[in-house]
Amino acid sequence: MNIIKKPSWQISENEVTPQELFDNRRSFLKLGAASLVASGAIIEALAKDNIPVPNLKYIKDKNINDLELNTYEQITTYNNFYEFTTSKTGVKDLAHTLDTNNWKIEIDGLVEKPFTLDLEDLISKMTIEERIYRFRCVEGWSMVVPWNGFVLKDLIKLAKPLSKAKYIRFETLYDEEMFPDQRRGVFASVDYPYVEGLRMDEAMNDLSFMAIGLYGSRLPKQNGAPIRLVVPWKYGFKSIKSIAKISFTEEEPLNTWQKANSKEYGFYANVNPNVDHPRWSQKRERVLGKFFKQKTLMFNGYEKEVAHLYKGMDLRKYI
Amino acid sequence: MKHLIIHLLMISPLSLLLVNLFVIEVNDPIKYIYTVTGVSATVILFFTITISLIKHKINLMKYRRDIGLFGFFYALLHMINFAVFDAQLDIVFIIEETLDKPFIYLGMIAFFILLFMAITSTKRLYRKYGKYHKSVYFALLLVTIHFVMAQKTIDIDLLCYIIVILVISYYKLLQVIVRNNKV
Repeated sequence: MNIIKKPSWQISENEVTPQELFDNRRSFLKLGAASLVASGAIIEALAKDNIPVPNLKYIKDKNINDLELNTYEQITTYNNFYEFTTSKTGVKDLAHTLDTNNWKIEIDGLVEKPFTLDLEDLISKMTIEERIYRFRCVEGWSMVVPWNGFVLKDLIKLAKPLSKAKYIRFETLYDEEMFPDQRRGVFASVDYPYVEGLRMDEAMNDLSFMAIGLYGSRLPKQNGAPIRLVVPWKYGFKSIKSIAKISFTEEEPLNTWQKANSKEYGFYANVNPNVDHPRWSQKRERVLGKFFKQKTLMFNGYEKEVAHLYKGMDLRKYI
Repeated sequence: MKHLIIHLLMISPLSLLLVNLFVIEVNDPIKYIYTVTGVSATVILFFTITISLIKHKINLMKYRRDIGLFGFFYALLHMINFAVFDAQLDIVFIIEETLDKPFIYLGMIAFFILLFMAITSTKRLYRKYGKYHKSVYFALLLVTIHFVMAQKTIDIDLLCYIIVILVISYYKLLQVIVRNNKV
């Protein structure tokens, strides 16, 4: 007898919302609600607050934790991208100088053979999926973002690192023409190029993600186009933007914020409500768009997936 | 006329704050309230100590008390934001944070100095306590450190603030030296 047992996650075909309806659900709901008020001005205002038409094909995240997404507007108007400005609301208007055409990623260090990747080539080889992740900034604010991209693990396999490689180091593009703060020399806010890194086992974890889009379309420039890292259990500054170089190393890379102020920022930067920043508490967080704060979760709610990586480590010491 | 302009200027940060909170709806309201009230209090309080420096050009001496009180008003809003919205009136948390973090206790001390000055700014009390109002300089020193500590890095905007503060301090110092030499 051949009994076909459906896995628990598989929903039947008639339960699936058709793609077009799903994509339009917001405007559908919005316009439905608006027609009750029947004011042309309101309908117009709602239509303006549009999410770009999704143009990526991806495997949907089932959102098993039922996270409430932040709006496209919130995610794309509140950004830390010091290459442009330290003003989070100011990045959006300045980011147009970033040219993401013909983007290349240099792969070097401890790999079988260093090479340069063409981003569009890379994307065509990868399985694109959606990941709905909490994103917690070290400054105390947070949001929930539906990213699109691929697992970092797949990129690492492609790069063929040597067994000596213990860390992976990322670099944001250095281009003074595109990034105004990189032109400021000694008056720059931080040292450039921006550098981040992960331990190899962290990088190989299933949660570590390379995002090329959000809300179903390619990343807006202010969010780190055309490709960025997303490590949801770490403070946001680990999730480096506009990556132009990836190196495999034996030594722990010195990341930008640790270099800027090692008393306050370390290499690990795991979200941890029990270890305060020297200047402010990390116990709670301000979710964008909400007035009242909520509790910050250990490893930003990904304890089950990543806690084993830090067994035996003193998380007060390894900040 | 002067009276009207000064008062309008003094309430303009508050109107900006209210419009952004309730009409435009900023993403991170608590942080926004900190920034607007903190910057406003700092700028206004530094302005109060420049009033005596510029009195031969524009005489605002008779408004100095009002302007100082507006500075205190923004400091008070800043404090309310901390206690009510940020700490959600968790008294234990507020005390722990204050004792634990220099960033917070420097701001706290500055606030209590300003509170003392605001209370003793009535004519009657000023006669008795006016001499202690020089502590505003100490409060401003703490405010400046607190302000710098509130930033993640030293960027151009912050450098501009610091330069203005240094220029004011320099002229203040000159003023004191000149005054002492006359005696």
